[in-house]
Amino acid sequence: MTADIVIDFTRSEGAVLRLIGQVERRGFEVTSMTMAEHGAGPARLTLGVAPRDASRSFDTLSRHVAKIHGVTSVRAAERAPFMERAS
Amino acid sequence: MAALAAPIAQARTAPFTGAHAVVRALEAQGVEYVFGYPGGAIMPVYDALTGSSLKHVLVRHEQGAALAADGYARVSGKPGVCIATSGPGATNLVTGIANAFLDSVPMIAITGQTPTPLMGTDAFQEIDTFGITLPIVKHSFVVRDPADIPSVFAEAFALATAGRPGPVLIDLPKDVTQASLAVPPGIDQTGPAPRRKFEQPGAGAIANAIALIEQAKKPLLYVGGGVGIAAAEQALRAFHARTGIPAVATLKGLGAIPTGSENYLDMLGMHGGQAANLAVQESDLLIACGARFDDRATGKLDTFAPNARIIHFDADPSEISKLRDADVSLIGEMTAILDALRPARLDIQDWRDHCAAMKTRYAPRYDAPGSGVFAPALLKALSEQAGDDFIATCDVGQHQMWVAQHCRFSRPQAHLTSGGLGTMGYGIPAGIGALFAEPDATVVTITGDGSIMMNIQELATIKRYRLPLKIVLLDNAQLGMVRQWQELFFEENFSEIDLYDNPDFAELARAFGIEAFTVDRRSEVPDAIDRLLSARGPILAHVRIDPRENVWPLVPPGAANSQMMEA
Repeated sequence: MTADIVIDFTRSEGAVLRLIGQVERRGFEVTSMTMAEHGAGPARLTLGVAPRDASRSFDTLSRHVAKIHGVTSVRAAERAPFMERAS
Repeated sequence: MAALAAPIAQARTAPFTGAHAVVRALEAQGVEYVFGYPGGAIMPVYDALTGSSLKHVLVRHEQGAALAADGYARVSGKPGVCIATSGPGATNLVTGIANAFLDSVPMIAITGQTPTPLMGTDAFQEIDTFGITLPIVKHSFVVRDPADIPSVFAEAFALATAGRPGPVLIDLPKDVTQASLAVPPGIDQTGPAPRRKFEQPGAGAIANAIALIEQAKKPLLYVGGGVGIAAAEQALRAFHARTGIPAVATLKGLGAIPTGSENYLDMLGMHGGQAANLAVQESDLLIACGARFDDRATGKLDTFAPNARIIHFDADPSEISKLRDADVSLIGEMTAILDALRPARLDIQDWRDHCAAMKTRYAPRYDAPGSGVFAPALLKALSEQAGDDFIATCDVGQHQMWVAQHCRFSRPQAHLTSGGLGTMGYGIPAGIGALFAEPDATVVTITGDGSIMMNIQELATIKRYRLPLKIVLLDNAQLGMVRQWQELFFEENFSEIDLYDNPDFAELARAFGIEAFTVDRRSEVPDAIDRLLSARGPILAHVRIDPRENVWPLVPPGAANSQMMEA
């Protein structure tokens, strides 16, 4: 099970480290990452994340990320399971 | 207590620098005390301190500064400020910052840093303080422009105290604090930031919580440290009194409801009382107030309160359903929430009676055999005799649990303990901070022979400022809690717990200029308590106890709270 966590935040020194660190420390692996800049201050970081064990919840992770100073919004969307078509 | 040295008037016509802006910003926030230790990269700030109204407390190790700031904050309710230089000064603060983070203590940690052109070059005493502390701060700043200092400090204080409090680090490169600065307009008006308002839970959530309370037959209040942090103890006591719902407390929740109150059971958890733990297991509704379902409180989580629905109040939304799903969550100002909870009918007299009977049945006994000092009895008597002004600052180990189990606490600020991090060496610096916050309190540090050696150097700070700290050193010549676990869970394979070669602690205290005496026998305890409580200056009671004494009851690691071990 993986999810995309889309984080809008204000750029500041160490902000990206802080976000990624929070995700890792709360028991998730970062599997992918893209970041886009929107104007002078705000930025968007999209992290693909996978829990390191079954007890980890994306909702709880989102709340942990949301309370980081400078974060303006967090959205988590679980990815649909990958389906391989039978040949 | 000795008065701190009066500020030395600035005769120099030095330029206004970034360091002056730092000092001015602290003054603007209403800071009175700063706990710290000078060194190379922070020297400009120490230079500016001499012309300020700030009172600097010179500790003997930076860890002492951070832990003293922590103790000051817990008692005063204001952010504690600690300061250190770069490199080892900063890394020595780290344990204290982590301690504040895990126990949600408002703190401003100020560190010097190598000049910005040298940052990233492995310069002398350069370490990435910002990076090292990222996981243990609520937020952090590296100030790169001295003009930002007023706004950074205002924001740091606001963040440290808002919502769930915590530490904020401000790293100050030396060139920033040395830079001349035209006084920014309004710098003196950058006063304390207003506390951020919570959004309150909606009427629907309140109604749902009331409905659950009215339906419950066995409701239980589960009180955590968040109550004291939110200064919501009066609202909690009122709720407790008007509903008569039995209550248990976590280690950090002790004192929110006075420990002798009707319908108050005990601490829950690993070393909690049997009545408290059994009540949790039997309850059908757990009302968690500022508690976070910590593993030391819950034991094996999936067996914790197995029949209970959960109402969870907290200032921090990320705590809701983190470990245990809440049926109703109430996020916001705890006092307002508690005041709004007014169930119309409760049918719980049988449950109250059952809890009261368990409390009587499982009450601790103090009639230990022998003539040696029985630490639980000593601590109970000491706290009762000290009265409502009593503040205990604990170290970590068996004595910490005995304090929690047996001392009387009438307010949350009366029990300073390193609950989250479990920092040996916390007790004495926290006692220093507590005395600066509340000089008339009866502050007693309860420590062990392992813990006291972690920050023994702070005896010099106590002496310097003539702080009337009372230290009770429970000496079993061992690392007692580790020994207990090795005895119970490692087949008595005692490994590296023997402290037979401890120094003579009374002599050591006297070498620091502190009055000290030794207690060996139970019959000496009443006089020892009298002597401690009547001392006008610092005093240490070195109390020798039986090394075989264990802390009971005990929930074994990984077990349910219903599976308590007893002596």
